Amino acid sequence: MSGLIPLTVRELKKWYRNPIFFITGLLQPFFWIALFGSAFDITKFLPNASGSLILQGAPNYITYIVGGVLTTSSLFTAMFAGTNIIFDRRLGPMGRFLSSPIRRSSIVFSKIISSTIRILPQALILIVAALLIPNGLKFIHGFTILDVLVILAAITLVSFIFSSIFSVIAIRMTNMNSIFGIVNLVNLPLLFVSYAMFSPVMMATWLSNVAKYNPVSWSAEAMRMVIINGSLTGSQWYQVGTWLGALAVLALGLLLLTAYLSEKEIRD
Amino acid sequence: MGDIIITRDLTKVYHGHIKAVDNLNINIGEGEIYGLLGPNGAGKTTTINMLTTRIASSSGTATVNGYDINKESLKVRKTIGVVPQDLTADEDLTGRENLTMVSQFYDVPKQEARERIENLLKLVDMTEPADRYVKTYSGGMRKRLELIVGLVHNPKILFLDEPTLGLDIQTRSQMWEYVRQIQKELDVTIILTSHYLEEIDALADRVSIIDHGKVLVTGSPQELKSSLNGDIITITFREQNEADAMKNIPGVLEVTDSGPNTVRVKVSNADESLPDVINFISTNKLSTMKLTVQKPSLDEVFLEYTGKDIRVEDPGDARKMMMNMRRLRQ
Repeated sequence: MSGLIPLTVRELKKWYRNPIFFITGLLQPFFWIALFGSAFDITKFLPNASGSLILQGAPNYITYIVGGVLTTSSLFTAMFAGTNIIFDRRLGPMGRFLSSPIRRSSIVFSKIISSTIRILPQALILIVAALLIPNGLKFIHGFTILDVLVILAAITLVSFIFSSIFSVIAIRMTNMNSIFGIVNLVNLPLLFVSYAMFSPVMMATWLSNVAKYNPVSWSAEAMRMVIINGSLTGSQWYQVGTWLGALAVLALGLLLLTAYLSEKEIRD
Repeated sequence: MGDIIITRDLTKVYHGHIKAVDNLNINIGEGEIYGLLGPNGAGKTTTINMLTTRIASSSGTATVNGYDINKESLKVRKTIGVVPQDLTADEDLTGRENLTMVSQFYDVPKQEARERIENLLKLVDMTEPADRYVKTYSGGMRKRLELIVGLVHNPKILFLDEPTLGLDIQTRSQMWEYVRQIQKELDVTIILTSHYLEEIDALADRVSIIDHGKVLVTGSPQELKSSLNGDIITITFREQNEADAMKNIPGVLEVTDSGPNTVRVKVSNADESLPDVINFISTNKLSTMKLTVQKPSLDEVFLEYTGKDIRVEDPGDARKMMMNMRRLRQ
């Protein structure tokens, strides 16, 4: 009687049945990888950049940036998870949910889970697109099933984290503009105060110091590590483990917070 | 028949001092259609929200189907169906998908849910549009869907909060027919709020008139109307002396002047007294120009007990109603 499954199915139906919502979501990765891949490609100013500290050993900028774009794509999709809570409140379905014997938190978790699921095909398309474009993604040191799992874990965790944060924000909100305002306020800072696009050596010291604590950096760096290096050494695994562990701890904390707040605070 | 809902001093206070519901005491019998009638802001919806456990009460208690609304809210929710004032169906799903989703909220087994949904759709003539998206529905269809969404889990009690708000008069009387049908076929107790007097009059077995969160009077619509003591027969004669002669008629409650050559005859029941009145007129050879019979309506009952006309709306609710209407028309 938790209601989580029917509510999540509902969200996903609303997604794949809306052609604009569905297709734009699938096109977005192409734009991102193509645009970010060339707009921020600093290597053209720096000959011999490849293999250096700047690209942390990646053969080209696209290969370097794929982990960052995957993270950013997840982040930007996840930030809108909360809007559907406000829509449900304004359009009426929330009243139905609240008078049913389902768990209140299911209403919120259905948004978080569906938003996380929506990101996965985007991620797949993004990787394919990166492989297809000229001078694109190259796995020079091979690519194993473990690497796939790392990428999957990082995307899922980062989506879950930001979907939760923005859903919790929306729990008591009634005005759509408030959530859009918050999204606009934090999206670019979250992206640029992170290692998603640039390596620490390219950043101002203070920026790099702050970026260290941004979950966007953890996810981008973890994916980057496996994409660039293929099979990792022990210390590299330790590093990836630390990043994913930090993401997992944060996700767990947010899971508990979301469960607590949505049971207690959600209103019509 | 026992009481399926009992409230004892049920109270809801907002912001520390606004008493939306003030020590409400009502008993609702099993199988009744029970009306809560009152102007906007009288506390009807707040009462429904407490009984359906959407909000907690500030003080007092109520039992719904034997369960305490504050201590056993989950059990209450499982045995009741709710049709809130606002539309709740998801427009991006079909009617059937909405019904199925809600049946899953109540863990109704798949096969049972399928059959039940089929029956409910048939009951409100919605079988044909069931597989269309809700956004393509007319206002009346959406309301009919709302009506059965609250019934997919076979509840014993159905709460209808202003079920015909914003509907045109034809669609409204159609809705009443469906509500009666549901009560008869599914054997549910129905609690109905409305500020349409005709609606309560048409549907309710018993009604409580509520204002400022308090029950002013409870009874069947018929009882309440007869409590006003009488129907009015207004007769206009050709001459004033004929009107005066009418004042000698025996067996009526009261005869008063009411304009030139006109008297108002108050009787306890016009259906029974009218033959006597006509007899009196013909035996006394009085020449009548006009004769009208007026039965008291709930309007007058309402006026009598609340001291105000129910049709005067406050602007806040008018806005809400417009919003509902706009959405219904889409």
